[in-house]
Amino acid sequence: MRRIAILLGLMVAACGPRKERFVTPQGFPQPVYAFDRNPLTREGITLGRRLFYDKTLSKDGTISCASCHVQSAGFAQPGQPVSVGIFHRKGNRNVPALQNLAWSTSFFLDGGVYDLDLVPIAPIRESAEMDENLKNILAKLRRQEDYPLLFQQAYGTEEITGERFLKALSQFMLTLVSADSRYDRKELSFEEKAGEKLFGQHCSACHSGPLFTDGSFRNIGLPAGEDPGRYRISEVEKDRNAFRVPSLRNVAVTAPYMHDGRFGTLEEVVGFYAGGRGQGAEGKIRMSEREQRQVVAFLRALTDHAFLRNPRFAPPR
Amino acid sequence: MRYLAFCLLAVVSLVSCSKDDPTAGKLTLAFTNKVGSQPLVLETGQYTNAAGEAFTVSTLNYFISNIRLKKDDGSTVSFPGQYFLIRQADSLSRKAIVEQVPFGSYSSVTFTIGVDSARSVSPVSERKGVLDEASYGDDSMYWAWNTGYVFLKLEGTSPVVDLNSAGQRKYMYHIGGFGGMTGTTANNLRQVTLPLAKAATVTASATPSVGITADLQKLFNGKTLLKLKDLSTIHSPAAGTVVADNFPSMFSVQ
Repeated sequence: MRRIAILLGLMVAACGPRKERFVTPQGFPQPVYAFDRNPLTREGITLGRRLFYDKTLSKDGTISCASCHVQSAGFAQPGQPVSVGIFHRKGNRNVPALQNLAWSTSFFLDGGVYDLDLVPIAPIRESAEMDENLKNILAKLRRQEDYPLLFQQAYGTEEITGERFLKALSQFMLTLVSADSRYDRKELSFEEKAGEKLFGQHCSACHSGPLFTDGSFRNIGLPAGEDPGRYRISEVEKDRNAFRVPSLRNVAVTAPYMHDGRFGTLEEVVGFYAGGRGQGAEGKIRMSEREQRQVVAFLRALTDHAFLRNPRFAPPR
Repeated sequence: MRYLAFCLLAVVSLVSCSKDDPTAGKLTLAFTNKVGSQPLVLETGQYTNAAGEAFTVSTLNYFISNIRLKKDDGSTVSFPGQYFLIRQADSLSRKAIVEQVPFGSYSSVTFTIGVDSARSVSPVSERKGVLDEASYGDDSMYWAWNTGYVFLKLEGTSPVVDLNSAGQRKYMYHIGGFGGMTGTTANNLRQVTLPLAKAATVTASATPSVGITADLQKLFNGKTLLKLKDLSTIHSPAAGTVVADNFPSMFSVQ
C-alpha cells in the first residue's frame, strides 16, 4: 500500500501541473485564444497572478501590471485620464479594462497586437509605463528565491524563459472572465429594461453581443487630437482617430472614459452621443434626458460585482 | 484515471535524439559592414553620405533569413528555419553559420533582409534564438506596439538633424513591416540574390566562408538618394519603404 502511495506521488510529480478547465459562460461565443498552445493549469495561473502583481516587472520596481489594472475598477486605472507609469510618467491613453480577453482578436486601443501572449511586452517596454525589458525581468526573477520553484511547478523545470513568463501572464489574464452582472442574471429593473431597449436601438450595432463590442475600430466624432488611433497601425487614412470599440461590461467602474479619458462620468459619455455630437455606427443619435438616464441605468447593470471582488483575482498572499 | 494513465506515460516516456544528417555540413556567411570604402566603426567613425551629409553610426542591426543556396547544377536548397541577426556591436553575430547544408558546390546565395510574414505572426513558442524578445535587452528588434520585427535598425547622429529633447542630433531608422496581420500594410521584406565569386564547396571537412559586404553608403543611395535632413526618424512600416527599397543594392559578395 505504501509502495502504491509512493508510486502515485512519483507519477503526480512527474506529471506536474494540474489542468484547469476554461468555462465559456452561457451565451458567449467560442473563445478565440489558442488554448491548445497554452493549456490552463492551476500552477500556471498561480504563477501568472504572482507576476501580474509583481513590481519587479518595472524598471525601478515601483509598479506592477496591477498598478494600472485595478481589480475593483474592472482592471482599469480609476480616476486617471491616461496611464501613469514609473516616475509618474503620463502615457498617451486611458488604461483599458481587462476582462474576457479570451474572446479578443486584437489588443490595445489601436489593435496593434493580436496575440494575448505578446501583449505584456508593450507596457513593459513603453518608457511611460514600466520602461523595462524582458531580458532584465527574467534575470531579476531568476535571482528571486521563490520564482524558480514557481516556474518548476507550472512547467516541470526551473527554467525561466520569455515564453513561459508570457504564457503564465496570459493564463492568469484569461481567467478574468466577467459574465455575472444583473443583466446576465436577468434582474433588470423597469428603468434598466427601458435603457436596454434604447441601447439596442442606438448602441448595440458596435457594442454588440454578449461581449458588448464588435472588436472594430471607429471614429466616434470626438475632436481629433494628436493620437492617430488605428491609423498608427493600419496607416490607412480612413482609420485616423478611430479606436477600438471597448466592451461595456463593468463600464460603471472604469471611469474616466474614451481613449484620452476626457469624460469623467457615464452621463457625460451618453450625453455626448445623445447631443448629436457623437457618431454611432448608424449616424447621429438623439435621446431625451430621460432616455439618457435610462441608458446609463442599463450600463450600470452591466457591473459584475462578483468579478470585482473575486478573491482569485486579488493580490496573491 | 485518465490523468493517472497520462502521468504513467510521462514517467516512462523517453526523450529521443535526432542524429545529424551525415551528408550535410556547414557554410558561413561572413558579413562585413562598411561605409563605402571605410570600415564601419560604431560611435567614433566619421562618414559622409552621397547627399554630402556627415554622419556617425551608433547601432546597425539587421535580420538575414530564408537563405537559399544554388548548386552548380541549378538546383536550390532552402534553409527556412534559420534566422540570423547581424549586429555590428557583436562580431560573433556577423558570422552567420548556415547548418544542415548538403555536401556540394554552390554558386549563388539568396536571402531575405528581415523576418518573413509567417514567422512575424508566429506564436511565442516559435520565437526562439534571435527571434526571442527576451534575447534583446535594450537593443530590441521587435515592435511591441505594432507586432512585428524591426528588419533593419540604423541609428546615429548627424549635424543636419534637428536637436531632440535630449539635446542630441539623432537619426533613427527602424525599418520593419511584414505586410500586416489583418488588412494590408507596407511590406518591407526585400530579397537579394548574389552570385558567388567562386563556388563554395561544402564537404565533411570543409566549411566554406562566403564574405558579404553590407555598404551603408548604398543604403543611403540605392534606388533612392536619401537625405538625413529630410528623413531622420522612421518608426513605421509605410515610412520605411523608401529605405527598404535600397536594401538589395547594399549587399555584395567579396
